[in-house]
Amino acid sequence: MTNPSPLPALAVQNLSRRFSGVQALDNVSFDVMPGEVHALVGENGAGKSTLINMLAGVLAPSSGTLEVNGKRVTFPTPASAQRAGVGVIFQEFNLLPQLSVAENIFLNREPRRGFVIDWPELYRRASAVIQMLEIDINPRTPVQELPVAQQQLVEIARALSMDPQVIIMDEPTAALSEREVERLLYLVKTLAARGVGVIYVSHRLNEVFTVANRITVLRDGRHILTAPASELTEDSVVAAMVGRELLHTERPPRHPGNVVLSVHDLAVEDSVKGVSFDLHAGEVIGLAGLMGSGCTQVLEALFGLRAITAGTVMMEGKNLNLGAPRQAQHARIGFVPEDRKRAGIMPDLSVLNNFSIAVLDRITQLLFLNRRREGALMNTYRDKLHMRYSNAGQLISSLSGGNQQKVILARSLAQDCRVLLLSEPTRGVDVGAKAEIYALIDDLVAEGMAVLLQSSELPEVLRLSDRCIVFAGGKPQGELDGAAMDQPTIMHLATGLAAESGPPAPEIIT
Amino acid sequence: MNPAILARNFIQVAWRSYRMGFVVLVVGILLAIFAPHFLRADNIINVLTNASVVAIVGLGMTLAIASGNFDLSVGATAAFASVVSLSMVPHYGVFISVLIGLVVGAIVGFCNGIIITELRVPAFIATLGTLTIVRGFSLIYTKGQDITLFGDTGYKVLSGGRLLGIPAPIIMAVALAAVLAAVMKYTPFGRHTLAIGSNAAAARKAGVRVNPVLWGVFAIVGATAALTGMIVSAQVLTANGRLDTGLELQAIAVVVIGGTSLSGGQATLVGTLLGSILITMINNGLNLLNVPASYQLLTVGVLLLLAVALEVSRGLDLRKVLRIGTSA
Repeated sequence: MTNPSPLPALAVQNLSRRFSGVQALDNVSFDVMPGEVHALVGENGAGKSTLINMLAGVLAPSSGTLEVNGKRVTFPTPASAQRAGVGVIFQEFNLLPQLSVAENIFLNREPRRGFVIDWPELYRRASAVIQMLEIDINPRTPVQELPVAQQQLVEIARALSMDPQVIIMDEPTAALSEREVERLLYLVKTLAARGVGVIYVSHRLNEVFTVANRITVLRDGRHILTAPASELTEDSVVAAMVGRELLHTERPPRHPGNVVLSVHDLAVEDSVKGVSFDLHAGEVIGLAGLMGSGCTQVLEALFGLRAITAGTVMMEGKNLNLGAPRQAQHARIGFVPEDRKRAGIMPDLSVLNNFSIAVLDRITQLLFLNRRREGALMNTYRDKLHMRYSNAGQLISSLSGGNQQKVILARSLAQDCRVLLLSEPTRGVDVGAKAEIYALIDDLVAEGMAVLLQSSELPEVLRLSDRCIVFAGGKPQGELDGAAMDQPTIMHLATGLAAESGPPAPEIIT
Repeated sequence: MNPAILARNFIQVAWRSYRMGFVVLVVGILLAIFAPHFLRADNIINVLTNASVVAIVGLGMTLAIASGNFDLSVGATAAFASVVSLSMVPHYGVFISVLIGLVVGAIVGFCNGIIITELRVPAFIATLGTLTIVRGFSLIYTKGQDITLFGDTGYKVLSGGRLLGIPAPIIMAVALAAVLAAVMKYTPFGRHTLAIGSNAAAARKAGVRVNPVLWGVFAIVGATAALTGMIVSAQVLTANGRLDTGLELQAIAVVVIGGTSLSGGQATLVGTLLGSILITMINNGLNLLNVPASYQLLTVGVLLLLAVALEVSRGLDLRKVLRIGTSA
């Protein structure tokens, strides 16, 4: 810490919030010192969002106090929080896509000359902020033309331009690739080195341990512990988050059977080329690669969502023609799409209707749905997947991310698929649900399911896959298994460095 | 489960389901008290009959809106189907001519569906285009003239027929609502429609064949528009290319006032029936109270704005509730 000021940049004391009978946050206290990165972790429903919203002036606390640099403050509006020096970067960006980077950074605070905006000054100031971040973005570019990772940097630049005492980042790496995560974590450390207090909210414990000085765990709206990161381990934090010791599971021994899905020299649209593999029953093949490497496209093509431009796909020796999801489903291929909110759930429909949408023709008799069979089918999978909901008629959007994901999984399983294509199967679900989903995948594979997995979380690929194919630039770079399958080797292949005799690989933070 | 939560859920569901019925009842009581002759049997039947005519196309529109779309061409479709149908009566008789009208409407709707799904024109623009085109067809077909039925052809049964003393439009509207409600709830087509309206990308990735479902939805909308158009024509035994202008706005209004969400994924056909009754009833009441017609124009607009504003504020509440539920 560069600034050993005795006063916390932000101190939260006995903060509580109740929503019509539900205690979302109960008497939580913690503080962040200037120059400190303080990680805030907890499962979904632990109260992190409620806390952040109160610090951002979006929600009013039911009781409790806030202090910035030792001064009592209240945040009746988001603007008052900003004025007091608390900048919040929400998980969902608040950018105006058509406006330029500079306009977004200084939205509502544009430098003026008389009644008009002083454009040269605006760009000058924006450049200054961007330079502080040691990044290379043209302040005149419309935000919508930037990749997601850079849009996030614009959010950070905006927060930084307000000269904050504290910056709060809510799941800042949710949409980033491994490479971009590293840069972001470096940036977080740079911010702290300037004396800003950073509250870093994340599910990903490896990031938390990379970047945080102290860690605070919330559970069920209550403060569980605050301790220096050096005194904690990932296991002890997980135990504090879920309130019980999670079984630290290894990949169980697998017993692959016959070849189920055989892909030969597959090409997808213009983006992917030369993919070949044989997927056996009772086996998991992981596809690993940075964002845009083509893994997702392979999965989507195998489910008939993208055009296959060359190569063959065979299911148990029979050639498949995959022009539409229907045909993939007929071939008993199931798919769990990566972006649950955008492509998985139908938010206005019930849990039951979300589950059964893909198998309606099987429970239809004489034009009409047999609703008893539908309910019975749902119950089977509810038990098998340990889904938690009070009533199959409730809206799926009222479930936690983990339970939503189980419904989507059950949707595929109910089609009796032999091959399961999983894209980011645990994105945005909490630690407990993640462990359950891993165990479920293990069970399915033990029963003979063949799984093709794509995940941007390398530990997930390593935990679940028997073999792994690494992609870069739309081409497979190599296949790894056994002891050769580890994070550094995968990253090496994924960044395309193995093929070139260029400079040595960058250090990989794991 | 906690009894307090059970009770709350029950009240929420009851209010959501019967909200419109409650509003209709309250407005009805107010009109009964203040508007002379409102409660007379012939006036009530008159209100319900007129409400049914709008309701029929509104029921079709409910499906379009539930699928996340719109159909602005229903007025033009209604007029085209009517002129074709009436012109067929001297040749093929009433029954066949009405069938032809329905088929014409369904074909126009089907074309809307094709334009939206295959040419990927947004529904708003696509149906705005067909609105104009189909109006043009009607005017060309009739050469700008009225088509009038002379003599007792029996066509009037559509508007004036009675079964057990109940006028035909009321029977058709109620029967259609029942059939479509069953379709939405108990058939794969209905479920697929709602799934598409809620999240078309997700529906596609779940294996729903989105395009054929939408062709079906728009064909149904076209057929209901045709039926409404033919009933209106039957009332005066005349049809022309300028008939039913503005029908699309009435149809969308009764759907929205009835409580079907404009964002798709959800449909209430009973709500659409009640929405039609509410609008018709209020206009009737204002008539009875001798409010000038120009003022009556305001009611539909004001009601529509109120209904949407209510829906939006409900949506906001819901989002807040969800935020607590998934608070991370």
